Amino acid sequence: MANDPSTAADLEATAIPPEQWIDQYGDYLYRYAYSRLRDGNAAEEVVQETFLAGIRYAHQYAGTGSQRGWLLGILKRKIIDHVRQRNRYERAGSYVDENDPTSQLFDAQGNWKTGAFRWSPQPDDHIREVEFRQVVEGCLEKLPHTQRDVFQKSVMDEKDSEEICKELDITPSNLWVRMHRARLALAKCVESKWLNDKEKTGHAE
Amino acid sequence: MLNDRKASELVTKSLHHSLSDAELKALEKNLSDSKEAESFARLSNKIHDSVVEMATLAETGDETIGPGLTDEAKRRLQASIEGAQRSSVNLPEPGKTLGREGRMNETLDGQLDTAGSWGRQMVAEGSAGYEPVSGLRAGESRFTVIRPLGKGGLGNVWLARDERLKRNVAIKELNKEALQSDKAWQRFRREAEITGMLEHPAIVPLYQYGLDKNTGEPFYVMRFVGKRTLADAIIEHHERIRLEAGDDGGLGLHRLLSAFLDICQAIAYAHSRGVIHRDLKPENVALDNFGQVIVLDWGLAKISEDSELASQLSWDNGGSEPALSQTVDGEVVGTPLYMAPEQASGDLDHVDERTDIYGLGAILFSILTGCAPHEGSGEKEKANIKQVLKAIAEKRSPEPGELARNVPRELEAICVKAMAFKSYMRYEQVARLAEAVELWMAGQSEKKSRYEHLRMEGRELRADLQSSVRDLETNSRFMACLPPIQELITAATEQELAVWRDRLTTIYRGLLTANADFKAVAYCKIEGEICTEIVRVERHSSEFSTIRGVPRSRLRRVKTNAFFKQVMQQKPEEVLTSLVCDAQCGPNDGYFGDEEVHLVAAVPVYDSNTEEPFGAVLIDCDIDRLLRRQMSKHTTASEIVVACDIHHVMIRSQLGHIDEEAVSKSVVDETPYFNRAVESLQEHLEFIDETDAEIYGARIWLIPNEQGLMYLLRAGRGQNQV
Repeated sequence: MANDPSTAADLEATAIPPEQWIDQYGDYLYRYAYSRLRDGNAAEEVVQETFLAGIRYAHQYAGTGSQRGWLLGILKRKIIDHVRQRNRYERAGSYVDENDPTSQLFDAQGNWKTGAFRWSPQPDDHIREVEFRQVVEGCLEKLPHTQRDVFQKSVMDEKDSEEICKELDITPSNLWVRMHRARLALAKCVESKWLNDKEKTGHAE
Repeated sequence: MLNDRKASELVTKSLHHSLSDAELKALEKNLSDSKEAESFARLSNKIHDSVVEMATLAETGDETIGPGLTDEAKRRLQASIEGAQRSSVNLPEPGKTLGREGRMNETLDGQLDTAGSWGRQMVAEGSAGYEPVSGLRAGESRFTVIRPLGKGGLGNVWLARDERLKRNVAIKELNKEALQSDKAWQRFRREAEITGMLEHPAIVPLYQYGLDKNTGEPFYVMRFVGKRTLADAIIEHHERIRLEAGDDGGLGLHRLLSAFLDICQAIAYAHSRGVIHRDLKPENVALDNFGQVIVLDWGLAKISEDSELASQLSWDNGGSEPALSQTVDGEVVGTPLYMAPEQASGDLDHVDERTDIYGLGAILFSILTGCAPHEGSGEKEKANIKQVLKAIAEKRSPEPGELARNVPRELEAICVKAMAFKSYMRYEQVARLAEAVELWMAGQSEKKSRYEHLRMEGRELRADLQSSVRDLETNSRFMACLPPIQELITAATEQELAVWRDRLTTIYRGLLTANADFKAVAYCKIEGEICTEIVRVERHSSEFSTIRGVPRSRLRRVKTNAFFKQVMQQKPEEVLTSLVCDAQCGPNDGYFGDEEVHLVAAVPVYDSNTEEPFGAVLIDCDIDRLLRRQMSKHTTASEIVVACDIHHVMIRSQLGHIDEEAVSKSVVDETPYFNRAVESLQEHLEFIDETDAEIYGARIWLIPNEQGLMYLLRAGRGQNQV
């Protein structure tokens, strides 16, 4: 066990050579990147860029923290760059956000359409967190990038709105429009998937 | 009263920051009144918690959050890592010796690759050229030779191990040919003495000068500073700019300029001791891994005869300083690629401190462009060296902007001054040159942050106009589907016509009252080539608040122009928004009766019975008023120009004042500094001035790739700018 370099203590102390990085850190960095980008190819790309930058700037690794943490730091930077580039590219296309869920949920006067939301788990309903999380993950994947990026940066990375606006080069009002649309779309998606799954399970029983 | 949509926005906000008491109260009321609202709030909260948990799990490396890399992906990544390791040039770390076989060839290959384009003199064809004059130093002396580092005209440089002090050092020795020449021996000793006398953190320290115990051949020992030179860093910087399309360019340039300032300090110190380097070039500047800059190769240095150092140097066999200075083929010293005109012409009486200032300017030139200043003079093709030198001696020095785009203008001006053809036109002292560069660097962060503001302002101006255009389109669509529109098509009697005209006039009057930017709204019948107004409501041209329905007798009947034809080709409810100017339509085809540019949105009207196009509803928006309102807002820009194409300025505001004379003039003629932005906006929606952080441009298309507006902003000048 003492020779297992994957234990936390060893990870703190050991700097392993680049040829072993894939085995030691590949999955960890990929999962992290995937959780932020929700795109397998993009996640693999940023992990690759991280490793290459790690080799290039290996001399800058001071050895004070863990090597995994150092690489994660590089990865976070690469993810920011990737998202910024993607946003820049996508914004160049059109100024109208085609993915506005409000018209499905509200009527012309801005009131909820009947049955827009039916989510009302009873106190005795047992919601399994892992299952719920999987449903949320599935719905996050379906969100358009423009909405998902602001949502994830705010909720997962706990960045303040000023920082997000700067990173994505958007105005605060644009940020809140995207955030609200993301919340609405996500809630609608999770609700319908959850209720759907529940009905199916009910039938099976 | 809060509607549900607003309430749902508050739910979103509440998950990011706290709400005010009033908002909280309104939200609670809405939640208690609406089941949907409560469901949305509860579910959003739950999703929020779940996503936060997801983030924690990803950070800690929990495997339940998803699959890892596939085997195939792992193989791809492994191959890429191995490739990167192979191509990276690893420098030996201090204290670590490499075997003579080991990685030597690989490292040399790497160096040759990068050195090629620089015409570097210290390259070798292979290890054969590095045979040490004697390997015996390993036996009795304290130094063990490890591997060759470089080869110059006079001698070779080796990486060696100081066995007593347990550290790596660099040893320079004369090569076989030079050993035969007395003059070379003198030059070699002189180089060692000069280097040894210059004690500065950015000048390579000399540890020892001596003669080999067995052969009696001279060598000197200096600090090992690695093999990475400023030339490598410059190549990397420009490759990065090229590959990453400009990303990180600013940071890379900042680092190179910091190194440049260190070189200036070293040269200023040498000048203070009466030493002129005379062979300044990026290859003669080593960069270690910790940002230390070391100026190397003082072999061609010239010493002022009246300087303190001159009296300390030892000259054997009658070798006088002037005679030694003028060696190397008797006339010319230095590397042609970076040579000052006075050196190239062999005019050694005029070689002084300003020759080094030219050399420093040449280094700055290569930092800015990635090329040596005289690379285009033919020496790369091994043209006759005399011709190359003649060209350098007679022609004006090149300017960075001629070889590279995106060179910051102020830095270019500094470089041009340092490299002035006439030495008296250059900076008087190295310190002045360094100051100018430092001042520019100091102004950058302030300038960048000002530019961020400028970009934000430019985007907001564009977004504001986009939102006005959207309003215009929504309103015109709505005005075309009102009941009187169809009734006016089918009205059988004059009386019916009058009734429906009145009703439509009343509605249109209301529209103009509610929208101050709208000049007129009209409903027209279009038959063949003729457009006949049925209803028109307009704002008085000078009495802004007066809105009038145009009497039947004054309604227009004009020939249709290209714009109307395009409108009639639209499908129902499709809006065509365009900038229309009668002047473009020919003298008899005007609808508006003036020469102004109008922002017009028009929707075709179809007869609901026959489903055939009948006419159109159009709203004429007062674009001039709209733009003037935008220009009246506070701005950090010193100038804003809005143009509908490169030949037509719509409005120009300078320091908050509208320049009435500029309207209708050409952007290119009136404001040539916007040319780069204008050119870029023909293809892109935005122009970001990465080089000078001074100009910002944003484009909005009304008809994609055909018609739109450009916003051009110029930053105000700050105090720190050079």
